[in-house]
Amino acid sequence: MGDDKGILLGAVAYDPKVVTIWEGIREHFLEQGTSLDFALFSNYGRQVEELLKGHIDIAWNTPLAHVHVRQRTRGESISLGMRDSDRDFHAKVIVRRDSGIKSLRDLKGKTLAVGSSDSTQARILPLYFLAKEGLDLDGIEILSFETDPGKHGDTGTSEIDVLRALQEGRAQAGTVGDLIWVNEQAAGHVDANKVEVLWTTPGFDHCMFDAHPSLPREKVEMFRRSLFAMRWDNPRHRRLLEMEGLREWMPPRETGYRSLEEALKEQEQE
Amino acid sequence: MSAQLAAIAVDGGDLPLGGGLLALVRPALNALETGGVLAVLSRSRCVREDLPSWCRADRHEYLGVEAISQGLDRHLIARGEFSVPPQPTNNEGRLTPRDGRLTASDMLEAAPLPTSADPFTGFAPRGSRVEPGGPGYPFTLNERNHLAPPEIGKLYDQAVSTQWDATRDIPWAKVKSLSDALENALVQIMTFLAENELSALYVPSRFMARIHPAFVEVTMFLATQLADEARHIDVFLKRARMSGRGLGISSVTTSRSLLSLLQTDDFTEAEFLLSVLGEGTFLDLLTFIERHAPDEPTAELTRRAKGDESRHVHFGLAHVRYGLANDPTLYRRLENAVRKRAATLHGVSGVPAPLQDALTILAAGGAHPGDVARGHERFRELLETMHLSRTRRLEHAGFTTEQAETISQLHTPNFM
Repeated sequence: MGDDKGILLGAVAYDPKVVTIWEGIREHFLEQGTSLDFALFSNYGRQVEELLKGHIDIAWNTPLAHVHVRQRTRGESISLGMRDSDRDFHAKVIVRRDSGIKSLRDLKGKTLAVGSSDSTQARILPLYFLAKEGLDLDGIEILSFETDPGKHGDTGTSEIDVLRALQEGRAQAGTVGDLIWVNEQAAGHVDANKVEVLWTTPGFDHCMFDAHPSLPREKVEMFRRSLFAMRWDNPRHRRLLEMEGLREWMPPRETGYRSLEEALKEQEQE
Repeated sequence: MSAQLAAIAVDGGDLPLGGGLLALVRPALNALETGGVLAVLSRSRCVREDLPSWCRADRHEYLGVEAISQGLDRHLIARGEFSVPPQPTNNEGRLTPRDGRLTASDMLEAAPLPTSADPFTGFAPRGSRVEPGGPGYPFTLNERNHLAPPEIGKLYDQAVSTQWDATRDIPWAKVKSLSDALENALVQIMTFLAENELSALYVPSRFMARIHPAFVEVTMFLATQLADEARHIDVFLKRARMSGRGLGISSVTTSRSLLSLLQTDDFTEAEFLLSVLGEGTFLDLLTFIERHAPDEPTAELTRRAKGDESRHVHFGLAHVRYGLANDPTLYRRLENAVRKRAATLHGVSGVPAPLQDALTILAAGGAHPGDVARGHERFRELLETMHLSRTRRLEHAGFTTEQAETISQLHTPNFM
């Protein structure tokens, strides 16, 4: 546990900007009267272990890490908050226009590009939802991009790899998160003559601040108060919020992780 | 969702989201208030998948879709709160040419200057819809009353239309060969003028980056002033070097006087010292040099420089008069600025000797003792003229006769 004076938060350094983000948030928390420090990890597995051991108070977790923490603490961990962009996440199945794929059934016998094996939005959940739609995944050629293992798809690199494989014709279909798909389109990076969206998965939630079950009540409150005081129209906050990919921090909710829990259970049974 | 709620509609045809649809959707949403509803008509199946996701990413509320005929969907979107706010007050008129011309004054009429400006709007042109959350800029001159006199548009237009060319507009080929004494005097005078104009180039530039761009007409006017000073430095040094005997003396009095000008940190004080007192005094100096110019090119370049300088004086006076009308404490501040500057020149009572001698010889037309007596007399008359013009100008700016007299007496013996 961090010293009595302040909160120690863990985050995964998936990009150099992570340092800038947490230095900025730390400064904002201090202005709010909340003493906060942070420790950076190279992967979520280690971060979760250190949270469970009480070496850090709070972990900024991916959905996969969040579900692990919930399971390992038997639901006693304290969920503190999430980004607006973490709510109602979806995954997309993107296809090449020349592939002849008009429905999910047409994916049979085709090559489906997917992201890293620990990416919730680019692999775990889209494959889970496709199976739920009745698709036999064994009949599909899976082209996997194992980039940045341990980062749980944070870097978005494997999703960009999926889109590139589609543009280049190395796959007829691919799975990516909705944000990267619409943001790449909005930025003009997608050739709409070559690829299009076929299907959208049901919604699910993404990252979460998980606190150790023993974090004192007043620290929980201080953390939430300082976090929710960040504003999009404040120039200093906005810079941090943009880098972290949100406009507004939201209260936590657990309903958005059911599908991931289910998917992980099924993976274990296989 | 009923279609009556839709404030505006766009027809997206079969455009995919990433194939141009956003170029219709985003501007339409920007025209709405938060919560205002946009209807998007679309024949693209993919838009059903992509539009809700885009709304989530951009924090608009996707209200749903209904098929209104075979293959035609109507999507409804409520504009989110994290967008660019609408113009708070749109008091802009349409800009229309008069006799085929558009002036800065017309622009100011169509888009008037605000009374104050927000440093967080940065370089956004006056009247832009500024997205909140941008960084603050280090602008410190943000109040119209301390910055932009009403005649600023007219002064800018005048400055632009009277620019001239130091290469072609002076009849350089007519420069005469002069007697040694006269040649040396002319070189000294041109050296002095160039040195002082260098300060007039640098002093306003210190303030330009501090002026809020909402008052860009002031910055634009100062830009013409800098171009004027650059041209003056150019012609003065060209004339000096046509004598083929290098340049004259730069005296410590001049150097100290100009440094104290450069070190003035307040824009209005700097305008007062530089333009009202300094350049104002230079008008009489340039008139004197033009009158006694030994050849046509010297008279011409002095005449042209004087035309520009009188515009700078006009701006300085307008700026100070406008400031005084809005802030009575400014009288005391300006008087203090003159006193403080005079203190840095304490013990120096006369015009820098090399300049005084050169002006005397110029007015004498040479070194014959009889002529020099007359030249000396003219020089003394010049000092008196300068003092009288200064007090008249100060009274014109709003000072009492007594204040004007005091300030004029305290003005630097370096003229600028």
